[in-house]
Amino acid sequence: MSLQTLAQWLSETPLALELADSNWLFGTVEALHVAALSVVIGSIALVDLRLIGVGPARGSAQEVLERLVPFTLGGFAFALASGSVLLFANPIGYSENFWFAAKFSLLALAGINALVFHLFAQRKLAEPVSVIPRISGAVSLTLWLGIVIAGRWIGYTL
Amino acid sequence: MTLLVDFAAWLGTTSLSALVTGHDWLVPAIQVVHILAVAAVLIASLHIHLRALSILERDVAQGEVAARFLPILWGALGVLASTGILLIASEPTRAIFRSIFWIKLALASAASLGTWAQGPLALRFNTGGVAVAPAQRLLAVATLLVWLAVIYAGRWIAYADAWAGAPA
Repeated sequence: MSLQTLAQWLSETPLALELADSNWLFGTVEALHVAALSVVIGSIALVDLRLIGVGPARGSAQEVLERLVPFTLGGFAFALASGSVLLFANPIGYSENFWFAAKFSLLALAGINALVFHLFAQRKLAEPVSVIPRISGAVSLTLWLGIVIAGRWIGYTL
Repeated sequence: MTLLVDFAAWLGTTSLSALVTGHDWLVPAIQVVHILAVAAVLIASLHIHLRALSILERDVAQGEVAARFLPILWGALGVLASTGILLIASEPTRAIFRSIFWIKLALASAASLGTWAQGPLALRFNTGGVAVAPAQRLLAVATLLVWLAVIYAGRWIAYADAWAGAPA
C-alpha cells in the first residue's frame, strides 16, 4: 500500500471525520501533545546538558540518566499517542508535507543517536575525560531543537 | 475594553510590530522559543513538586532542589513573557481580546506562586530535609494540574472566539 493510499484511507476513518468537525477535540489533543513534548524536551535537555557537563541536574551522568529516562519515555509515549491522533486530522496534508518528513527523519536520527549512546558511549561515562558523551549530548540537543522547529513549521505549511 | 482597543491599535503601529510581521519565518521561530521555555517551566516545576511528592531526588533537601530549579523557572517565565509580547505584537487584535488569554495569565501566575511556595512551606512545616508535609503534597498535585491547564488555555487562544465588538 502506498503512502497516498494509506493517507486516503486514514482520512476516511471515523476519527478523521470527528477531528475535522471538532475544534474541541483537535485542540484538546494538541494541548496534550504540547504537554507531553514539553516533558520529553525538558528531560532530554537536562540529560544532554549533564552529559556536556553543565545544567542543574544533580549527580553523575549515569544517575541523571537513570532518574530522568522514565520521564522521557513516558512523555514520548504520550506524545506518540496524541501525535498519532492528530495525524488523523489531515493525513493527506501531512503525507505531502516537507516539514513532517523532516521531523520524522530527525526523530529517527535522534533514535539512532540514543542507540549509539547506549551501545558505545554510555560505558565512557566512567571516564571523566572522555569527550564522547559530550558529543552525544550536543548531537541530541541539536536534533531535538530541529524536531521542535520542524514540528512548529508543519502548522504553517500544511 | 477601550483601553485594550487603544493599546492594540498603538501596538500595531510600533516598529516592533512591523519587525515581527515583516518576516514570515519570525513568528513560528518565536513560537519555537516559547515552546522551549514551556518545556523549561514544566521540567523545573516537575522537579520541585515531584520532590515534594517524594518521587524525584528524594534523598536531597527540598530547599536544595528549589534553589537549583527556581532560577530556571524565573528565567523561563521571563522568556515566555518576552516571546509572548512579541507574539501579541505580531497580531495585536488576537490574544488580548479573548477571555482565555487572561485566564491563562491568571493560571500561570497562580502556578508560579504555587511552585515558589514549596520552599517556604518546607521551612514552615520544618520539613526542609527529607520529610514532606501533607499540605505540600496537595500543593504539588494542584499546581502541576494548574500548569497543565495553562498549556491547555494557551492552545485554546487559537480556537476561542474574541469578545463581541473587539477589533478584527
